[in-house]
Amino acid sequence: MASDDKPHAERFPFGIVGAGLGVVTRQLPPDEPPPLAPNADLAVIGRPVPRQNGRAKVTGATRFTVDISLPGMLHGRILRSPLAHAEIHGIDVTAAARHPGTRAVLVVARPDELTGATLRYVGAPVAAVAAVSMVAAAEALRLIRVDYQSLPFVADMDEARNATAPPVFDAASAPAGYASGFPARLNLPLDGNVRGPATDGRGDTAEGFAEADLVVEGEYRTQVQTHCCLEPHAIVADWRADGLTVYMSTQFTAGVRHELAEAFGLPLDRVRVIVDGMGGGFGSKSTLGSYGRIAVALSRQAQAPVRLVLDRQEEQMDSGNRPATWQRLRIGAKRDGSLTAISLVSYGTAGVALGAGVGNVAQALYACPNFAAAQYDVFTNASPGCAMRAPGNAPGAFGLEQAIDELAERLQLDPLTLRDHIDPSPVRREERRIGAERIGWRRRHAPGADPGPIKRGMGVAQSLWGANVQTNSACEVRVMRDGSVEVLSSVQDIGTGIGTVLAQTVAEVLGLHSEAITVRIGDTEFPAGPPSYGSRTTASITPPARAAAWRVLRPLFREAALALNAAAEDMAVRDGRILVRGDSGRSIDFRDAAARLRTDRISAVASRSDDYGGFRWRMADAAQARQDLGGVQFAAVAVDTETGVIRVERVVAVQDCGRPMNPLLIESQVQGGVLMGLSYALFEERILDRHTGRMVNPNLEQYKLAGACDTPAIDVVVLENYQANSATDAYGIAEPANIATAPAIANAVYNAIGLRLRALPMTPAAVLAALGKFPARS
Amino acid sequence: MINAVSALTGRAEAPDSAAPPSVGPDPLAIAMTVNGAARSLQVEPRMTLAEALRGPLGLTGTKIACNRGACSACTVWLDGVPICSCTVLAVEIGTRRVTTIEGLARGDALHPVQAAFIAHDALQCGFCTPGMVMSCAALVERQPDLTADDVRAAISGHYCRCGTYPHVVAATLAAARTRKE
Amino acid sequence: MNRFTWATARTIAEAAAAASTIVADAMTALPETAGPGDGTIVKAGGIDILDLLKENLLVPARVASLRDIPDLDAIVEEADSGCRLGAMATLAGLAAHPLLRQRYPAVTDAAGESASPQIRNLATLGGNLLQRPRCWYFRAAEYRCLRKGGGNCFAIPGENQYHAIFGNRPCAIVHPSTVATALVALGATVDLIDAEGAVRRLSLEDFFLPPERDLQRENDLRPHEILTAINLPPLPTSARMVHLRQGEKDAFDWPLADVAVLLDLSPEGICRSASIVLGAAAPVPHRAKPAENALLGKHIDESTAGAAARAALAGATPLAKNAYKTPLFEALIRRALLKAAAPIVKERG
Ligand SMILES: Cc1cc2nc3c(=O)[nH]c(=O)nc-3n(C[C@H](O)[C@H](O)[C@H](O)COP(=O)(O)OP(=O)(O)OC[C@H]3O[C@@H](n4cnc5c(N)ncnc54)[C@H](O)[C@@H]3O)c2cc1C
Ligand code: SF4
Ligand code: FES
Ligand code: FES
Repeated sequence: MASDDKPHAERFPFGIVGAGLGVVTRQLPPDEPPPLAPNADLAVIGRPVPRQNGRAKVTGATRFTVDISLPGMLHGRILRSPLAHAEIHGIDVTAAARHPGTRAVLVVARPDELTGATLRYVGAPVAAVAAVSMVAAAEALRLIRVDYQSLPFVADMDEARNATAPPVFDAASAPAGYASGFPARLNLPLDGNVRGPATDGRGDTAEGFAEADLVVEGEYRTQVQTHCCLEPHAIVADWRADGLTVYMSTQFTAGVRHELAEAFGLPLDRVRVIVDGMGGGFGSKSTLGSYGRIAVALSRQAQAPVRLVLDRQEEQMDSGNRPATWQRLRIGAKRDGSLTAISLVSYGTAGVALGAGVGNVAQALYACPNFAAAQYDVFTNASPGCAMRAPGNAPGAFGLEQAIDELAERLQLDPLTLRDHIDPSPVRREERRIGAERIGWRRRHAPGADPGPIKRGMGVAQSLWGANVQTNSACEVRVMRDGSVEVLSSVQDIGTGIGTVLAQTVAEVLGLHSEAITVRIGDTEFPAGPPSYGSRTTASITPPARAAAWRVLRPLFREAALALNAAAEDMAVRDGRILVRGDSGRSIDFRDAAARLRTDRISAVASRSDDYGGFRWRMADAAQARQDLGGVQFAAVAVDTETGVIRVERVVAVQDCGRPMNPLLIESQVQGGVLMGLSYALFEERILDRHTGRMVNPNLEQYKLAGACDTPAIDVVVLENYQANSATDAYGIAEPANIATAPAIANAVYNAIGLRLRALPMTPAAVLAALGKFPARS
Repeated sequence: MINAVSALTGRAEAPDSAAPPSVGPDPLAIAMTVNGAARSLQVEPRMTLAEALRGPLGLTGTKIACNRGACSACTVWLDGVPICSCTVLAVEIGTRRVTTIEGLARGDALHPVQAAFIAHDALQCGFCTPGMVMSCAALVERQPDLTADDVRAAISGHYCRCGTYPHVVAATLAAARTRKE
Repeated sequence: MNRFTWATARTIAEAAAAASTIVADAMTALPETAGPGDGTIVKAGGIDILDLLKENLLVPARVASLRDIPDLDAIVEEADSGCRLGAMATLAGLAAHPLLRQRYPAVTDAAGESASPQIRNLATLGGNLLQRPRCWYFRAAEYRCLRKGGGNCFAIPGENQYHAIFGNRPCAIVHPSTVATALVALGATVDLIDAEGAVRRLSLEDFFLPPERDLQRENDLRPHEILTAINLPPLPTSARMVHLRQGEKDAFDWPLADVAVLLDLSPEGICRSASIVLGAAAPVPHRAKPAENALLGKHIDESTAGAAARAALAGATPLAKNAYKTPLFEALIRRALLKAAAPIVKERG
């Protein structure tokens, strides 16, 4: 064991397994574990270990927030705006307060003496009640009298851009800061409902277009998609004199604790946030949210625990959504395919929120010296959008990757050949090679070549996503004298199986089976873990888990060395034993070594160190690795040109997440990303009634999601890509897998019918319209 | 079939003409066989089976996600047949046997579908999982020889936002194979 | 959901005596007067009733269950080799019935493709035919539209992508029942029994009411009447039938369009009679008479089927967002005709 209290050089595996895996020398910061071998040489990491909480989940034993019931618990419910834009002049809650079941009443949209409170979308919270039962809460809500004055509104983005459109905000009331999507930036001008532009650029696009032999230009549209977490947003707030405990279906226990402490003026140590089962978030459960604040306020007022669970209609109408976008892309290229300029103008609407940009794919996916982007947020009287699985880049890739496909065709190049020429990423090059072989790309025919009414086609699209890291991520590993081991962090398992991955990480270090590790997560009583958004969980928390395990192993090595009459530096672990390296005859059972410990329990806490090679950037607790995560997806579709129905028959998804920690769980994540992308491509759309601004499909019936019968064969291939950045070198996968699907399908549709669908979702109506099968109407 | 409701409460009203007697709207006592055990509980006539299971019966394994038959998360068996428990009332269960996710395993021994779900990672967040398991287990019980299309049809009414369908199909086919052996 | 009392009818007479209010009437009451009235509504599988109750669109004083009435779910072959389908037969029961599958495959296909397996296990045939429309304005308590006794239709000037392309004024619902498409094509009749036991039998086609006949009711069910059975007429062995549906999704999706055809072909393949009905097209299952006429005396092939399909759509009056249904129906009708006319692989017995 090298002395590790000073930085020193170490040799790390580097590159893609099967495509030039090499070695790199990096400075290892002090107290970090030694380089980890490629997966082939490991016992637990990289193996398809089934998730630990699987049994609880298949037997119904898992406690989700909606299942939590505390003694004396009340039920909260929110009264919501029926109008898209209104001022409240008066609100009378006396009758509601007098309802025998009522225990607390809260006015959320409180008019002050001079001005009314303004509501800006259908579903905006107005007031709330906590009562002894759900039924009583609903009855009490109906007793609240609100004096609404309806105001002109605009729910459609195109209309909102008109100078004559009713303003959603004025300069003083408009949100100004950052928002979960990007590129919402500070201090951008607001003109009517249009805020921006947020600009990015390099080189000179005018020159670039002048140099181009060919320019493709197109406009693309994407719709509003709702998250549709199967578990609704839910919280149980328990306000007590000695502190606040909150059970919440959240993607970020530690973050919610911060928000609560700030919102209610409590010290951090008096706020505890807990989540066990978590029924999906996809970005929409990243923060406390208005419903969370309401539940806590109700609990404080009622002096009793309050459970607040949104119903499906509230979920659809006010729990976040993926903003709609409009994008115009121009791409200039030389005959050989070299790009000379890319220009992007986008308008997007996250309703009353910011963050409707189209990400950084146009900026960063391909080599192009000249780039200019102007992205605008458009306010509309619609519920606030928020981050949703690969915000920005998912809609952005729908535009860009079709434009590149179009460019390839105009250049008479195979889309893969063009990408080989303009895409500098060695990762995606390898992914293209693998994917093309899997899908049988050579069989791809010319656009629209199939003779019959059912036309088949193949398409490809690529993705890029930042390798995000939360530096404020810590993990504790404990070993007890009986040899039992616990790993603890406030990190939450939102379905990715991070608990199992932590167990694997620790087990690998300690030479144990992963089932031997008890995982205790989802509770802010444990060291603060990262959020489960931005695909940063694994990248942030597995390195400290390995580091903590490594540190806790040292006292055990000392005990073992004493017992075996060897030097602690020569100790190693294997199959539940601590042994002398190179002399496996001399070994001691892990439990026997633990039994020799001086105290009942030893423990080590580690936090996420900086990437060994340095970060690309770091801001507060968030950072990004130098390399991006690349993905390439291929789709094969069948388009029925008489009914307009598109069926996706096969998807091949080749993805990169650094070191794959658990291929079984990763495969699940990738399938999930592909299916959400497919559903986005073909079915989903929030539909607002243009005359009332109300969502007409606020349920899971008329808001359509892909089901089992819409699921194609999905081939998942995951690269093993080492970058020598951290103790595990692992990165996220959930979002990258969601980006390329819709454009791959769109490109496959083009290949099938020779017509490009530039708007989502690609419904039968859209296909039949593109085919000119019915007279267009205004 | 006897009218369990009126028999139990004795609150039956005098029939006007030939119309049947009624109970409620206040809570009334009913009996129900859940997971093989006789249970009695108080329900208002408007309470759905899903609410009764999750509330008075404390069986929170059954999930409510859409509350209108559109997602099948609340699937339980009625006399062995999968139905959405959010689309039936507790008062009308009568003598029909209710089986929920909590009643599927035999003690510690998981149903083959449950075991296969774990092995094939047919669950992510796990919220749709209880319902999904109930539908797949019913299929395996009913039809030993399965194709992937049979499984897809059996879960065609389920939504899984995490996208577990491919693994659910694989797991159920595997469970059917073990069952046959 | 509001409170109600609960009753279990054990005979048809009991049920009919109880059924003082039909759902459509209960839903047109003004919101102010809508509180629990004195009406009793009947419930079969309850899929639709529960939806309406949960949305507070329906606030009955009492709900009476039909579930315990004996034999109301029977499917029996009649002496004339027609079939009598009990109103309480479930969609799953219909879809899986061997005799029906053999003789009336259009019905079993339509039943088996409706909703989800879980719903089909509870949903009854009677309830399916009597369910209220799915128009999203109709289903939201916020909109008091024409069909609920209000003054406007919100769909015609609003979001109407899934609405009717025929007979769509002043209300543009599509009839929600998928099996109805097949049943009307087959010339099914319904039996309605009142509290005194009097039976009213009428053709299913006449039982459904378009908006011009009744703006608030989709059918002619009357208070104190119970739908007891649907009768399928005997068919010549030369009859051929097909039901096709097309949703945006392959399963568990309301059809964008569905078509049922019943053909009688001479041994030479000449069309002697044709019945073509479109579902998801109009406020009632829509009989495509021009298409039927276009086929009489013809050999059915690509060109005659195509011509008939075009004839079927000639009178369509699509709204702003549903014109795509025209080509979609054309394709479906043509395919259904060709499929029905294709040489029969397995003889029907
Ligand atoms: C998500 C979803 C998807 C669906 N998809 C489809 C689809 O694709 N195709 C389709 O056709 N349907 C579909 N349905 C609708 C479903 O099939 C119907 O709601 C169901 O068939 C209604 O039958 P029921 O027995 O539950 O009726 P109930 O809800 O019990 O009753 C419906 C109505 O009929 C009355 N009634 C019932 N039986 C009688 C009787 N014997 N005499 C007098 N009155 C009676 C009741 O008073 C009530 O007004 C779907 C439903 C859902 C929730
Ligand atoms: S289509 Fe009919 S049901 Fe729908 S809003 Fe118009 S009137 Fe009402
Ligand atoms: S909760 Fe019952 S079907 Fe969705
Ligand atoms: S596992 Fe999350 S919804 Fe199915």
